[in-house]
Amino acid sequence: MRALAFAWRSLVRQPARATLGILGVAAVGALLFDMLLLSQGLVRSMRDLLERQDFDVRVTATEALPGTGPVIDDAVAVVATIKALPSVREAVAFRIEDLSIDRAGRRRVRGFLQGVGRGAVQPWTLLRGGNPQGPRELVLDEDGAREAGVAVGSSITIRASCSAERDALPPVTFRVSGIAAFPFDGPDDVTAATTDDGLATACGEREAGMADMILVTAAGDPAAAAADIAAARPDLRAFTNEQMIGRIEQGGFTYFRQISTVLTTVTVSFALLLITVLLTVSVNQRLGEIAALRALGFSRARVVADVFSESVLIVGIGGALSLPLGFALAEGLDRILKRMPGIPEPLHFFVFQPEALAVHATLLVVTAVAAALYPMRIVARLPIAATLRDEVIS
Amino acid sequence: MIVQATNVSRVFPMPAGPVTAVHDLTLTIAQGEHTAIRGPSGCGKSTLLHMLGCVDAPTSGTLLFDGQDIAALSDRERSLLRLNHIGFVFQRFFLLPMLTAAENVELPQSEAGVERETRRRRSRELLDYVGLGPRADHRPSQLSGGEMQRVAIARALANRPRLLLADEPTGELDEATGQQIAALLDRVNADGTALVIVTHDHALAERATRVLTMKDGRIERETRR
Repeated sequence: MRALAFAWRSLVRQPARATLGILGVAAVGALLFDMLLLSQGLVRSMRDLLERQDFDVRVTATEALPGTGPVIDDAVAVVATIKALPSVREAVAFRIEDLSIDRAGRRRVRGFLQGVGRGAVQPWTLLRGGNPQGPRELVLDEDGAREAGVAVGSSITIRASCSAERDALPPVTFRVSGIAAFPFDGPDDVTAATTDDGLATACGEREAGMADMILVTAAGDPAAAAADIAAARPDLRAFTNEQMIGRIEQGGFTYFRQISTVLTTVTVSFALLLITVLLTVSVNQRLGEIAALRALGFSRARVVADVFSESVLIVGIGGALSLPLGFALAEGLDRILKRMPGIPEPLHFFVFQPEALAVHATLLVVTAVAAALYPMRIVARLPIAATLRDEVIS
Repeated sequence: MIVQATNVSRVFPMPAGPVTAVHDLTLTIAQGEHTAIRGPSGCGKSTLLHMLGCVDAPTSGTLLFDGQDIAALSDRERSLLRLNHIGFVFQRFFLLPMLTAAENVELPQSEAGVERETRRRRSRELLDYVGLGPRADHRPSQLSGGEMQRVAIARALANRPRLLLADEPTGELDEATGQQIAALLDRVNADGTALVIVTHDHALAERATRVLTMKDGRIERETRR
C-alpha cells in the first residue's frame, strides 16, 4: 500500500478529524482565493473598463486623477494641438458637471451632465436613437430616461450646477436624441451627455473652454501618442491607459491590495496552524503504531511520507472544495461592496484571473508542506524502542 | 548463527544519572532456536529484545546479525534488515485499525515491494496458517484479543523472517487464549523460524528450549532443554 493510499485510509479511519480538517481548509482556502481575486480584481476591472472605451490616452492638467484636480482652461486650443499630431487619430474634450432634471409635480432627479467635444468616438455606448448633434440635444442613460419618463425624441428640462458659474442657472430644455450606456455609471446613477456647445447652453459660455480631461485615440502606439502630446504641451500630463491604472493604483486601490495581503497572510497562517494541529494530534495518537511499523521494517522516509501524504490529502481536497466556495463568496462580497456609492456598474472588486488560481494552488501546496513539517519531524525522530516501551507502560 | 551479541551494554541517560539496562551481555541466537527471556520488570528483557531486533543499538559491545555489524548499518539498512529478516510481535498487537486482517498482513510485503497478487496469496495463506482465514476481511475492531495477536503473528511472518521476536505476546490475553498463542508460536518455531520471546508468563517460557533469566541487566541463569 503506497503512502497516499495509506494516508487516505488513515483519514477515513477518523472521519470527524478528516472532515474538520478538510472543511477548515475549504473555508480558509475560499477566503484566501477571494483575497487573491480582490488584490488585483479592482485594477483588472478598471483596466478592462478603460480598454473597453476607444480612448488610449487621457490628458489632464496635473498629476491628479480626472475630476479631482484643476481643469484644462484652454481646452479648445489643446484639442486642436493634439488633433494635429500625426500619432493621434481623435481627441475630444471631456467635462462633467452636476445635473438635476425637472419632473412635473415630483422631486427632481439628480445626476451628472457630461459635455463632450464632437468627434468620431464618444465615451458612451448608444443604445437607441442618435448622438447629440446640436446645442439643445443630449443622450440620457436608461435610469435617467425612466426616472424622467422620457424617450428618444422627448423634451427634457434640466438644471446644471456648474463649477464655473456661481449663480443659480436657469432651467434649459433639451431634446433627448438617444439613450446611451455610460461605462462609469453607478447602479443608480443618472447621467446625461451633450456636446461642448450643449454644455455651454446649460452652464454658460465660460464653461465651454474648460475640460476635466482630453480623451485621445492614438493612431498607433498609445505610448508614442502620449509622448508626442507631452512634447507638444509640456504643461499638461498625458497618460496611457496602463499609466492611468498605475496612478489609480497609487491613488486608492492599493488599500485593497494591502488588505488582501494582510488577510491572505492571516488565512494562510490559520490554515497552517489548523493542519499542523490536526496532524500533530493524529500522529501523537498513533505513535505506538508508527513505532511498530518502524520495528517491522518500514523506513523512516516511508512513515514520513505517510504523514506528508495526509497533509496533501487534507489540503488537496479542502483546496478543491475552496474554489466553488470562493467563487460563491466572491459573488456575495462583490455585491455588497458594489453598493458603495459612486462605483461604476461594470466595475468588480473580485475578478477571476488564472494567475490567482496559480498563486492559490502554490500557497496551498506550501501550506501542506509547511503544516506537515512538525508532525513529520516527530515521526522522523521517533525513537522506536523507547516508544514501544512507553506504549506498554502507558 | 543469526545473532551474535558480544559484551553489549545499553545505558540510558536519565536526569538522575545514567541507567544501565543491559550490562556487558554476551549471547547468540542460532537458526531455529526457541529462546525465552524472563525476569522481573525493569531487568532489561525488552531492551535486550529491541537490540536483538535492531530497533535499538547497544551503547557498547558488538552486535552482529548474520555476521553484519549492526552499528555499521545506516537507519535505512537497518530498516531493510528488519523488513526482510526479523518479525516482531508486540504485547499490544499494534494492528492498524483502518485495515482488514489481510491488509495488515500484506503491509510488510507491500513495503518489501512484493507484487500485489503474490502478497494477497501469501496473506491468505498466513491467515489460514494462524486459523483466521475466514476472518481475513475483518477489521481489528471486529476481532478478539487472541485473534488480533494471531493476525499480528501472521503479519510478523509475512516476509518469511529468520528471527521472530515477541515481547510479552500473551500479556494482554486470558490464560486459555494465551495457550493458543503459545501453541501457534511453537508451530512457527517448529517450521524453522528462530523465536525469542520476552515473557513474564511461566508457562510460555517453559515451552522454550532455552530460557534466559535476567536480573539487573545481566543473564543470571541460562537453562537448556
